[in-house]
Amino acid sequence: MTAFFRTFREGSGFDAVLILCAVAYLLVFSAFPLVYNVIMSFQSVDMFSITDFNRPWVGWQNYIDVINRPEAWLIVKNTAIFVLLSIVFQLGLGFGLALLFQQDFPAATFLRGLFLAGWIMPGLVVGTVWKWIFAGDFGVLNYVLNHLGIVTGKIFWLSDPAYSLYAVIIANIWLGIPFNMILLSVGLAAIPRDIYEAAELDGATAFQRFFSMTLPMMRATLGAVVSLGVILTLQQFDLIAGLTKGGPANSSNVAQYWSWQLSFETYEISAGSVIAVMMIAVVIVVATIYVRSTTNEQSA
Amino acid sequence: MSKIKAALGALLLTASTGAPALAEPVTLQFWTTEHEGQQSYVLAQEYDKKHDDITVNIKHVDLGNMLNDLTRAYATGNAPDVVAVDNPDNAMVSSRGVLLDLDPLIAKSSVIKPDDLFPGPRNSGTWKGKIYGISRGSNTLALYYNADMFKAKGLDPDKPPRTWEELYQDAKALNDPARNVYGLAFSAVGTEEGTFQFLPFVQTAGADYDSIASDGAVRALQFWQKLLDEKLASPDTLIRSQWDSTGTFNAGNAAMVISGPWELPRMQSDAKFDFRVALLPVEKDGSPRASALGEFNNVIMKTTKHPQEAFGLLEYVYSQANRNWNEFGMMSAVKTAVVADPKWPAAYAVFTEQLKYARARGPNPNWPKISKAIQTAIQSTLTHQTDAKTALEQAQKTIKPLLTQ
Repeated sequence: MTAFFRTFREGSGFDAVLILCAVAYLLVFSAFPLVYNVIMSFQSVDMFSITDFNRPWVGWQNYIDVINRPEAWLIVKNTAIFVLLSIVFQLGLGFGLALLFQQDFPAATFLRGLFLAGWIMPGLVVGTVWKWIFAGDFGVLNYVLNHLGIVTGKIFWLSDPAYSLYAVIIANIWLGIPFNMILLSVGLAAIPRDIYEAAELDGATAFQRFFSMTLPMMRATLGAVVSLGVILTLQQFDLIAGLTKGGPANSSNVAQYWSWQLSFETYEISAGSVIAVMMIAVVIVVATIYVRSTTNEQSA
Repeated sequence: MSKIKAALGALLLTASTGAPALAEPVTLQFWTTEHEGQQSYVLAQEYDKKHDDITVNIKHVDLGNMLNDLTRAYATGNAPDVVAVDNPDNAMVSSRGVLLDLDPLIAKSSVIKPDDLFPGPRNSGTWKGKIYGISRGSNTLALYYNADMFKAKGLDPDKPPRTWEELYQDAKALNDPARNVYGLAFSAVGTEEGTFQFLPFVQTAGADYDSIASDGAVRALQFWQKLLDEKLASPDTLIRSQWDSTGTFNAGNAAMVISGPWELPRMQSDAKFDFRVALLPVEKDGSPRASALGEFNNVIMKTTKHPQEAFGLLEYVYSQANRNWNEFGMMSAVKTAVVADPKWPAAYAVFTEQLKYARARGPNPNWPKISKAIQTAIQSTLTHQTDAKTALEQAQKTIKPLLTQ
């Protein structure tokens, strides 16, 4: 009996308990909701039957139904544009800023810290602020553009279907830059200074130093930032809720918001689950690429 | 020893069960989308004070989360006793069998008389012939207009527009882009509010949500499109709520606005001009009057352990209907309620008249889906992705199977 307890205090039993805690946590808070969501996507779910397992099984019918909706392809296209443009610009501008603040100039670290202010703001607040900026009749952006002579007349950023998606993307890029910048700054700081000095002595130009040294050494960090960026962009919800609610006429609607609309506005919970499952599939692919690329990096 | 214990236990048992007069204190859970100071809070707190043995715990829930939170609470066995649900959602919740059938309690009640409710509110709480919800009040839409702007543009402020054509002509005359003034403000937002604002136009043209592809509905949508295409209303009408749209009217950036009585207190303080209220214009002379019916119904969850006390709260709210206008900015749902000395008497008269023509949305257990189909049609037409006829036919296709379920 004492041997039994001793193993928990100092032996392999203790290790097992620690592992079990982690596994139990994953099972309860990750695996269970995930599996539950997958099951719901194959069932006919009513708003007051969300806790019954015993619901009518409809199989792939839910998937066929969602894919055949008239708005489905528009939303898929919007989601692709939303993710692609957000990532490209967040990463590009974030990297540029990270390189800038890597330079030694007065208040560099202070300014870098200041950039984080945008990131800690809740999406809904950011949505409200950008709503004022983008407002058609009295928006700040239109005022500035008009006074600079770039455009004449008003652009209805949020209510014109030609612009609404891009307005949301611009706000999302702004929101994501600090996060990208900080992660990339950490990556840059990890590169030893002396190899740059050596390269400089050997006559490498700044251009060469960036492409032959900085970029290859940042590969793992960039992979991580892109993967996290895709996941975070696919999670972006409150900004859309605050700005356009996916409208007008779904012109700025993206998969995650559509999933919420179906589940919690029209209570088509199965249809909402279908979209969530498809998004999980995409995230798994992204995560796999990320894990593989970083493992290769370490073994190389 | 054990015998004494048993006897003592039995005695205690009879004491607790045999004396219902010394009732156990009852705690009611009441969910509402209102805030402190609004009707739900004020009346529930009064009800609480009047009954020593009843405590009412009031919880604020945002409108967007109300049904989701309710679903979750119901699933985990923590549903509240009384809930204020938006009237178009009442049928959906009733049809799921989670609400208490109020008919037996109403039969014994000396306070609530369903025949005294206006037909719109009564219908909104009724499902398959049984009453599941009692309207705490009602509201409806009318046309607010800036009389000063009417005068400035040479229009007669005593003759607000009565038909769509007059509404169009007046909006055109009042429209003044140089001064950032739109002729009209309303809300075509892609939420329930858009449907709420659109249906009166459909109904005066002889159609309704269940005949949404008919000619009248197409004319209504084409009329909205004309207003937007000619920039008589802001393009942001597509994404603005009613509250935000009325904000532009209060700021003097729209000469007219379609909204409800809940706007009056804010308008009183924000609008620095002579604002007046008129009945919603009808399609043409002789067309039927129509307006939307808003406000919430108080319902009792089937799982309540205190149906009597919960119903008592509904009775109390009903009995205070005559305070709705002056204190809570809503109309009464009870025909017999008398408002002595109403605030904004002219507006009160218009809204009271307008309420007679207010129709309930549905009642249909699939209302959110029906409404979504209508919103989609409105938005895709107003953004010129399709024409009104095609969009409404698509909506009809979605709505038709939902009507019979």
